[in-house]
Amino acid sequence: MTDDMGTPEDSVVEPERSGLRANLRALYQCTNDFDFTRLFKRGLVIAVLVSVISIISLFTRGLNLGIDFKGGSVWEVPVTDVSVEDARDVMEGVGLGDAKIQLAVNADGTKILRVQADVTEVDASREVTGDLADLAEVPVSDIAVNTVGPSWGDEITRQAQRALVYFFIAITLYISFRLEWKMAVGALVSMAHDLLLSVGVYSILRIEVTPATLISFLTILGYSLYDTIVVFDRALENSSRTVAKTPYRVIMNRTLNQTLMRSVNTTVATILPIISMLIFGALLLGAKTLQEFGLALLVGLTSGAYSSLFVAAPIVSWLKEREPKFAYTGEAPVAMAAAVDGEAPGRPARRGAARRPVTPAAPVGAIPPRPRKTKKRK
Amino acid sequence: MRRKGVLPLVFFVVFTLGTLAWTFIVGNSPVLGLDLQGGVSVVLQPDGPVENEDTLNQAVDIIRNRIDALGVAEPDITRQGETVLVQLPGVENQDRVLEVIGQTAVLSFRPVLQTLPPVGQEVPTTTGAPTTTAGDGATTTTGPGGATTTTAPSTSTTEELGLGAPGALTPGENAAGLQATTTTVAPTTTGAPGTTVPGSTATTVPADGAGAGECAGVEDQARLRQNGVPRGLNDEGVTPSDEVEPCNTVVLAERDEDGNVVTRFVLGPTALTGDALSGASAGLDQSGVTWLVRPTFRGGEDGIDKFNAAAAQCFAAAPTCPTTQLAIVLDDDVISAPQIQTDSFERDQIQISGDFDESSAKDLALVLEYGALPVELVPQQTQTVSATLGEDSLRAGLVAGIIGLGLTVIFMVGYYRLLGVVAVVSLTLEFALVWVLISYLGESRGLALTLAGVTGLIVSIGISVDSNVVFYEHLKEDVRNGRTFRSTVDRSFGSSFTTIIKADLASLIGAFLLYFLSVGPVRGFALLLGISTVVDLIATWFFIRPAVLILARSPRYRNNYAALGMPNVEAGS
Repeated sequence: MTDDMGTPEDSVVEPERSGLRANLRALYQCTNDFDFTRLFKRGLVIAVLVSVISIISLFTRGLNLGIDFKGGSVWEVPVTDVSVEDARDVMEGVGLGDAKIQLAVNADGTKILRVQADVTEVDASREVTGDLADLAEVPVSDIAVNTVGPSWGDEITRQAQRALVYFFIAITLYISFRLEWKMAVGALVSMAHDLLLSVGVYSILRIEVTPATLISFLTILGYSLYDTIVVFDRALENSSRTVAKTPYRVIMNRTLNQTLMRSVNTTVATILPIISMLIFGALLLGAKTLQEFGLALLVGLTSGAYSSLFVAAPIVSWLKEREPKFAYTGEAPVAMAAAVDGEAPGRPARRGAARRPVTPAAPVGAIPPRPRKTKKRK
Repeated sequence: MRRKGVLPLVFFVVFTLGTLAWTFIVGNSPVLGLDLQGGVSVVLQPDGPVENEDTLNQAVDIIRNRIDALGVAEPDITRQGETVLVQLPGVENQDRVLEVIGQTAVLSFRPVLQTLPPVGQEVPTTTGAPTTTAGDGATTTTGPGGATTTTAPSTSTTEELGLGAPGALTPGENAAGLQATTTTVAPTTTGAPGTTVPGSTATTVPADGAGAGECAGVEDQARLRQNGVPRGLNDEGVTPSDEVEPCNTVVLAERDEDGNVVTRFVLGPTALTGDALSGASAGLDQSGVTWLVRPTFRGGEDGIDKFNAAAAQCFAAAPTCPTTQLAIVLDDDVISAPQIQTDSFERDQIQISGDFDESSAKDLALVLEYGALPVELVPQQTQTVSATLGEDSLRAGLVAGIIGLGLTVIFMVGYYRLLGVVAVVSLTLEFALVWVLISYLGESRGLALTLAGVTGLIVSIGISVDSNVVFYEHLKEDVRNGRTFRSTVDRSFGSSFTTIIKADLASLIGAFLLYFLSVGPVRGFALLLGISTVVDLIATWFFIRPAVLILARSPRYRNNYAALGMPNVEAGS
């Protein structure tokens, strides 16, 4: 223990001794103090690996683009007793034998015949609609049709790319202005990681990419950024209050501990509705669009939570440690945590502070000392 | 001191509930997008570069007029960049709408040089070969007063038509239509191909013809075969659409409802375009039985004069219009090829008659009135959602949203206890406010709530909860560090709120960019994300802060750390 203020009961070591329950309690009580920096290298390596796999898959397998991107038509026909073979016969009759045909059964027992074919002309598509209506013996108006021209996909891809580039530029400027350019770099790399990972999952599992997927990816970027900014804002606050020369990873580690519960709780609160969307909306009620949204969001949120911790934070630490004030000297980050917490001059440490009523107007010289766990709480 | 902070809270709650009540009283409710209630959506883009903004705006206006004329409720026709988005929620007769929107090509009038049967039905050139069945080919354009004068020797006209235009027109069922409208000036049409009628050349016809004047010498004569039919026809025996130019001689077809070729026409260069028309209406003739279409031309040089120049040539059966028929061409298809019955027309006294029923007459009138789009728009995406599927999606979205909300509520209350309750109340109020805004924008600006928007709302639960979590975790940390709950609320809030603003601003930047740089569903999503982010900021300031302050001052709860879900330092030491 290099922490001269630490005691044997210090929460620094406590969680590792007492197992999961104590860890959780420490989290709930805001006394957690994990050493994230130990995992920085491993975390970054995993992130790089995953990104590389995604890139390889993108180049070799490509993406399973929906008709909105490559042109074509999709029909959704409510059916009672029409088989895939019947539909195949109809499609072969109009020279579309290579159509993709699926029969989906919803939880309430209704069946939907989903036919996808390479028809980009509205007139031709209407003809097929008529044939399918005859087959299923339903009025034409009961059939959902989506026909997309061959060049439309390029158009929306171009739009999305443009939006993405502008978004990255705007965010870089914004973070550089409100926080620091080094943090902008961290945020950008972390967003790029989330995007790559999400696209990679879609490429590897051959999940169809639709405009809904596109929206979800953009949302993911938003969440990831939000997460990263919350962490960085705190890191900035912490570093500005740290007077002594302190390795940046120590500051970052303390920050990550401080913001961990916020990240976890936000992620849980966000993921609950999304899981509900997937399970109840998509699986039980068969709303395909909800499934498209939900899947990408789930992947992206998980990735976003990971990258805030193990991509954005290490990169910023590494960049900041090139400044003399924050250079890394070799100490264990957790052991040095007190430097971030309580080395402000003239500040009474620990228990004394716990009882002392502090007015909001109190000089904000430093982050108040992290209280040490009492023996009674064990 | 006690009252500090209560005022904004009361104001916010009263404002939210008040606007909510107002929304219900006025009867505003969110306008459902077509993916939630069924309908038709068409994305159109110009074919080739657009020269100026005005032409696109004009095109949007024309489409809007067409849709309005169809009587669609709450159509949403917007221009986003160079893209035109047509959304028609709740439309049931989808085919008809697609047809009317689909007819976006430039309308033109071309003289008929020859009439040909469909490929595979060629017959020897005999008189009156009964190769056609549809009526439009036999339509007749009648002159002034045509509607009132129905005493024409119609049978002779019909026969003459049969004689005069080899293989073109069928007597019989069409005769009725002709009878009703043929005028006294009619039976002068004896023109076989290439025949001029000397007596009819009274009106001065420019030697080079009306429209052909601009095209003189342009056409490569090598394109034509000996019999005057252009080369390079496709399988259907018509000129491929990419070779249809205003100055070429082309073969175009008239089609029946299923798109099959009924008659083919060899057409001369475009005589005039739809620009010359100012309007058109459909109506019954005097007898009240037959449907007519009455186009109205603009006055002067660019309107009726052009038409009359072409009409005079056709009436005279000049070489540029030997059949006396002037075809109305839309989207490379012949809509109708009426026979010209007089050489000069008043601009508002023209009738097109034929085998129309009410629907086809009105459709032709619509096409004539709004057909002349200044730019050709190509449908890029056409989506039809059935009403039942839309309802299912809406139900799925609602069920998923409610369950998701329930889970979040359980989690927040379970973890943060009383503070969690504050979060849930705040979430409810925020939702009410977003509902008010969506309803208001739906009624006033036509903003439709799509499935993408519903997803945006479900997702915004997370954003809203996050503001609470950032604040509460800060509170807990400060309390853990020895401050009392009461003393730290303001300090924690100040620090958390700057963080929330920084993060929310990033979200807003994203939403703003997405809104202006994208089209369709992404746009709706971005708007809702933006709205809920702003509402969240407002609620955080005006509700969460004062509500937590009140809790902190409450003698009952301010020290009840367990009920607040906080680490209890006092008890622990």
